[in-house]
Amino acid sequence: MKYKSLVILLFIFCAFTLSAAQEDAAPVDTVQVDSILPPAPVSMLTAKDGENDHGHSITLRWALSADDGAGQNSVLSYDVFRWVPFFMDTLQSIGDSLDAAEGAVAEQLRKRRDQAVVMIPQVHKSYPEQGEWRKIGTALSGQASFNDVGVKERESRDYMADHTDYYYRVDAVTADSTVRTASEVVGPVQSYGQLFNTGRIPVFVAVIVFGFLTIFFVVRAKMGTELYVRPLAGIEAVDDAIGRATEMGKPILYVLGLGTAADIGTIASFTILGRVAKRVAEYQTKLIVPCYDPIVMTVAQETVKAAYLDAGRPDDYYEDIVYFVTQSQFAYVAAVNGTMLRELPATNMYMGVFYAESLILAETGALAGSIQIAGTDQVAQLPFFIVACDYTLIGEELYAASAYLGREPILLGSLKAQDYAKAAVIILAALGLLAASLNWTAFINLFSVTS
Amino acid sequence: MRRQIPLALVFIFGVFMIFQYFVPHESSEWIYEFLLDWIYIIGIFALALGIWSLIRVSVAKIKARKANWGYPIITLVGLFLMILFGFTGYRDGSLGFHFMTAEGLSNPMFRNFFDYILIPIQSTMFALLAFFIASAAYRAFRARNVLASLLLVAALVVMLRFNPYLGPIGPYVADAASWLLNVPNLAAKRAIIIGIGLGMVATALKIILGIERGYMGKG
Amino acid sequence: MRRSTIIVMAMVFGLFILSWIFRSTSLASVQEHYLIGGLKVTFSAFLTLAILSFLYKDNPFYKFAEHLFVGISAAFWMSMGFWTTIVGNLIPRLSRSLSEFFQVPYQPGSYNFVYFIPVILGIMLLMRLSSKYGWFARWPLAFIVGTFAGLNFVRYLRSDFIEQVSATFVPLLVNWQGVGHFISNFSLSASGQFVAIVGNWVIFLGVICGIIYFFFSKEHKGAFGAASRVGIWILMITFGASFGYTVMGRISLLVGRITFLFRDWLNLIS
Repeated sequence: MKYKSLVILLFIFCAFTLSAAQEDAAPVDTVQVDSILPPAPVSMLTAKDGENDHGHSITLRWALSADDGAGQNSVLSYDVFRWVPFFMDTLQSIGDSLDAAEGAVAEQLRKRRDQAVVMIPQVHKSYPEQGEWRKIGTALSGQASFNDVGVKERESRDYMADHTDYYYRVDAVTADSTVRTASEVVGPVQSYGQLFNTGRIPVFVAVIVFGFLTIFFVVRAKMGTELYVRPLAGIEAVDDAIGRATEMGKPILYVLGLGTAADIGTIASFTILGRVAKRVAEYQTKLIVPCYDPIVMTVAQETVKAAYLDAGRPDDYYEDIVYFVTQSQFAYVAAVNGTMLRELPATNMYMGVFYAESLILAETGALAGSIQIAGTDQVAQLPFFIVACDYTLIGEELYAASAYLGREPILLGSLKAQDYAKAAVIILAALGLLAASLNWTAFINLFSVTS
Repeated sequence: MRRQIPLALVFIFGVFMIFQYFVPHESSEWIYEFLLDWIYIIGIFALALGIWSLIRVSVAKIKARKANWGYPIITLVGLFLMILFGFTGYRDGSLGFHFMTAEGLSNPMFRNFFDYILIPIQSTMFALLAFFIASAAYRAFRARNVLASLLLVAALVVMLRFNPYLGPIGPYVADAASWLLNVPNLAAKRAIIIGIGLGMVATALKIILGIERGYMGKG
Repeated sequence: MRRSTIIVMAMVFGLFILSWIFRSTSLASVQEHYLIGGLKVTFSAFLTLAILSFLYKDNPFYKFAEHLFVGISAAFWMSMGFWTTIVGNLIPRLSRSLSEFFQVPYQPGSYNFVYFIPVILGIMLLMRLSSKYGWFARWPLAFIVGTFAGLNFVRYLRSDFIEQVSATFVPLLVNWQGVGHFISNFSLSASGQFVAIVGNWVIFLGVICGIIYFFFSKEHKGAFGAASRVGIWILMITFGASFGYTVMGRISLLVGRITFLFRDWLNLIS
């Protein structure tokens, strides 16, 4: 009995101690609920259209209440209110009915909704009549801004109309949500879409500079200026590889990768395929081009057909040189693996966009005893091609390959433009090093793209 | 004419996409979304071309009666069965031109083929990477030259970073691996990405300006 | 077909039947349709083993699995594409009657008429099959290539050029005014100033030398050649590190399949 009483006493003692400790550990700015005074309101409340967007958003900014982190320390959050006309409830109920309706009824409701949406700017002009203040969000203590963001789709519940007068106010709220102070009302403010995204000016400048560089060097190349390009082992090996296949009487397998016709790596691969196909046609070697994407197949067929025409061997071309396999990654790989082991090509060329299957392809080709030349702009797959293939074109070298193989002045001219851009990168990096060391934030901010 | 109009189309749409990047206005955004939607739709028509090519090549192999001519039959059987299951299904007890109902896929055989044929084969093909990475490492780590040696050492350091049997040098290997992955790795990847970025940008510009036309064939 | 091949295939078929019987028996107490359930798991296991047999050499089982996979996957994507894009996205915007036929909600809109354009472009693409009108297929191709060329031009200029260059703006001396420990210890994971400074320098020089390696129009001789050589060394270190990093991830994929075989098929592990 004594023991039990002792335990109960100990328990009660611990409970009191803990609650006292909680009170002791309470933050300095916590005020007892019954002694909270109305806080100071926020000041300098401004509402502006959201910057660099497609409209449908308003940004609110304010100076924190004097009781946020100072004074009475009583402000814990800020409630943001927008004046909403009662008409918006009608629109909401039409939307609710539309969700459940079908057929002709839905059609009617849709028309009503479209008519109602058009009236939104007009009904907002009735402020302060026929509407009320509604809370649209909360900012925490210490936050001095809030974005009221809507969507552009008129059918959506979150649609926020542009060119409409909106009114806002911000309440400083204490621990007791009834003890609060409202700010002055700000408005009318309208949202609208911008015509130019000023946050992307660095990109705009880069577009102009790069465009100018490319055009300049292409024009210069057309005027016949000689251009040196350093040797690329992978490119020099192409001719030898084709010759090897011809001598052995074995085919050449060309894999365009798993990209679509929209990927730049695939487009670079088309150009290389055209050059390879022309030499293959001249040597009358068999070419196999299995495709992953049907549009890529279409383009590749055109390219190879044109190459055979160029080589003066149109009759050697047949439609099934380039064929579609499947648009499933590993099914495609399984099929290409099978082709490698059955056709035993002397040369495998992997040029384009590859993903996880790159190692499977390259290793199977190595098992089949083929010479392998790879080129990809997928950084994650480069290690596997480097390890498993005889020659690899790393990233940019894939794009340069078409210029190397054709030696056309215009293409070589654009390589020169790229080299000048790289020189600019080195200079900028050196300047950036100085700027970061000496805190030249103005220079660093020139390269900051904010949206 | 046959090449001028496509080249003009490339220029118009290329320039528009550059333009819309700098114009956040809603109307520019709507057109951008339309264009992307259109590409998906055209892709489906292209898929029909692809399936036609697959059927034609398979039939040609069967007719030619060369080695392995029986296997394209399996391809065609699988293709037509899956098309049948994918385009027909049960809704309210009756068989028709359905795919999904409120309860899910309307043809259970489509789901079965996906779960018990596609997924196992796909996962196993992916799992082959474990063997291939070992065989690639075996062949590549013969350190024929300085570059191969560097690759070998870096790979070994990173592979062994969590190995519990390294004794007192374990923490140093882990540190070295972590430093390799965070510092020189970052530098080299950045250099490659900058090069790729410049190459991509140059190629894209050449395509828009009509300098790069390899994708269009001849005639 | 050789006699040994026929014997092997017969043995495999026999094993398949035995496996099916055993698996169905073990599922009988758990599932209602245990025969079908057993067949599904057994078939999946045999397809798994057929693909793994490729590691030994090309064989009829791998060929069977490969060709089946190609046919089924092609049709799978065709079905998914038709129902999600054509029926899910295109038809609701174009035709009320077709929407009712496919039982999808019709989506009226003022700009729906523009969706006839991709249909026309798609039909032009199909004209590829005609030798006389095949050149029409270049129009949708031009649209796709041009659209993505423009998109990629600005996107990659930003992400692969501007943002990468600005990320290379690292200071020569970290906390150079002497705040904090300069050398905490020689551990590579230490966060002392010295380690951070060395890291910044390696990043800066690594990026410069790597870029120099990719110069095409200048011969790699002298100091330029030396910098280019340093660049390729750093690239090789990176490729080695990336290779080593993915090894564990790839092995875990195999563990997944082995688990399926031993647990779901053979029921040897719980």
